[in-house]
Amino acid sequence: MKPKNKRVNKKPEGISDYLKLYKNLKKKSKNSLGKKIKIALLSSSTINGIKETLCVQCYQLGIFPEFYVGNYDQYSQEILDANSKLYKFKPDLVILSIDTRSIFGDYYLLPYDMDDNGRKKFVENKVKETTSLIKNLQKKSGSRLILHNFEVPSFSPLGILENKQKFGFHESIRHLNSELEKIFKENSSVFVFDYDNFCSKIGKNNMIDHKMYYLGDIKLDMQKIPLLCEEYLSYIKPVLSMSKKCIVLDLDNTLWGGIVGEDGIEGIKLGNTPEGRSFSDFQKYLLSLFNRGIILAINSKNNYEDAIEVFRKHPDMILKEENFASIKINWENKISNMKSIAEEINIGLDSIVFFDDDPINREMMKKSIPEIKVVDLPQDPASYLQTLMSIQDFETLQITKEDKNKGKMYSQQRKRTELKKSTPHIEDYLKNLGIKVTIQKANKFNVPRIAQLTQKTNQFNMTTKRYSDNDIQKLSKNKNYIIFSVRVEDNFGDNGISGVAIVDTKKCKIDNFLLSCRVIGRNIEEVMLNYIIKNTKKFGSKTLFAEFIPTKKNEVAKDFYKKNGFRLKTKDKKKETWEFSLNHTYKSPKFIEVIEE
Amino acid sequence: MENLKEIVSRVLEVKDVENISREKTEEWDSFNHLMLVSEIEKNLGIKFTIEEVEKIKNYENLKNIVSKK
Repeated sequence: MKPKNKRVNKKPEGISDYLKLYKNLKKKSKNSLGKKIKIALLSSSTINGIKETLCVQCYQLGIFPEFYVGNYDQYSQEILDANSKLYKFKPDLVILSIDTRSIFGDYYLLPYDMDDNGRKKFVENKVKETTSLIKNLQKKSGSRLILHNFEVPSFSPLGILENKQKFGFHESIRHLNSELEKIFKENSSVFVFDYDNFCSKIGKNNMIDHKMYYLGDIKLDMQKIPLLCEEYLSYIKPVLSMSKKCIVLDLDNTLWGGIVGEDGIEGIKLGNTPEGRSFSDFQKYLLSLFNRGIILAINSKNNYEDAIEVFRKHPDMILKEENFASIKINWENKISNMKSIAEEINIGLDSIVFFDDDPINREMMKKSIPEIKVVDLPQDPASYLQTLMSIQDFETLQITKEDKNKGKMYSQQRKRTELKKSTPHIEDYLKNLGIKVTIQKANKFNVPRIAQLTQKTNQFNMTTKRYSDNDIQKLSKNKNYIIFSVRVEDNFGDNGISGVAIVDTKKCKIDNFLLSCRVIGRNIEEVMLNYIIKNTKKFGSKTLFAEFIPTKKNEVAKDFYKKNGFRLKTKDKKKETWEFSLNHTYKSPKFIEVIEE
Repeated sequence: MENLKEIVSRVLEVKDVENISREKTEEWDSFNHLMLVSEIEKNLGIKFTIEEVEKIKNYENLKNIVSKK
């Protein structure tokens, strides 16, 4: 969804621009077709301006948020009172910021009026207090939580001797932070936001305008609010499944310096020279993004042989061919290359980030495919790394085993595509793959992946219902639900858990049915459906019900129920309901080996 | 560069800047007051003292305070 308001599309410069834009937004907020999220802001100090700024930033991304702003310094009461406005609001996301100064009170400026035992007790109490507050919040609300950690001050009355003290002032705050981190490390709905690190990034001496603090208890300089809100967006985007999945790269003057077609493999700048080192570092960081599950692809105008030789033979090349899910090195135009990359990898164009040193190519891409995030690379390659590091679009709420192996899976996929091209009949191709599907009910090991798939899968997803870890855990304990995942392997490798179905056995209805895009077209969905039919029959039901809720992206799943013997029952703009008579037999594909665990 | 009048007009969203005061002008609430101070400081590269911020009551005396900087 693009906001219609043109002024919103211009990048606002300061906090006052945001506030002005916010006023214009309010009138339009009702006609909201985009993604929605309810955000509650709780704080120990004045947070005027945050709601407004964050709201504008959300609109710019096509997100339509609703806000609840807690009363000044009333966060404890609101969390503890089950009837508070906070819970009536039913937030999807709570942002809780408690600042160091407010918890230390007078001790903030007189930290050594407490002895080391006093500080120890004080910190232990704070950890307990905060933890119990958050557990309380979690009991009363299913919301996700962003919890600020505490800023470690840059001053100390003891100066250079600060770190010679037994459990000193700074040490005590660092300890508090690390305890909170530890406690919530395994908690999938509480995220400790490293506010101390954010302050360091901005510069601790610039965080506060003391005049504003004395006049209005404003502890964060108003001009820094837009930056803080951008940090919040790094959480909001993955909550709404809006993270980018793939980086598409140009080659000449992007991955290496110079033009390989003119300078030759010996002439390009990579490694060893000052300029060459900046390209090497850029590649290293791309590799570490690849290792966390970001897909890489190439879109370059070049002679294929010249360019591919660099990957194969240049001693300082960090990225190799197998790091790329799709390689388009040719003289076609970059727009059509981009479209075929998206098709080949099977991702939406809006999941792509594009890097190209040439501003003309960038402009063309922006105009032709506005969904793509085109990065404005700086002129100096020395700054490429910084540009890459500051992109906040690759966030995910967890990293699963599947993410870490994603890169490998995509290069296996490239090999599958090659086999498909060389096998004339699709049946033969599928047989030759040697597919093995393992069906597994929800258990504590696969719950995070099941939840992740419901959050991330957009294409083959019949209802696009999103579930959190907590939701899946709860549902899996409910006897009226069958939740299972399917793991897909074949001769080329392991795709990991790639499909999920949730069935309400009481209503005999498929609640959720989805398949990761990388295994579409291998009849896995039929194996899943067969399992559902087999198991719902056991409950003595005669009819299996299903829904298809159309979205902008799930066109590929549209005819699935029709093709598989379901009858259309009702249909309106929002959804179709289908039914399948369980008296009918259903044939699952023979060439797939199925294991039920 | 923006002058004082333009900044005031932009932040408080008022056209007739000359005659506004904290008492009369609805837009000039306590938060916008601080916002105005922050924007003037940022755009004109000056700093107010806390006493001056409290003293600002209308456009006329704001102008006087700024002109002494």
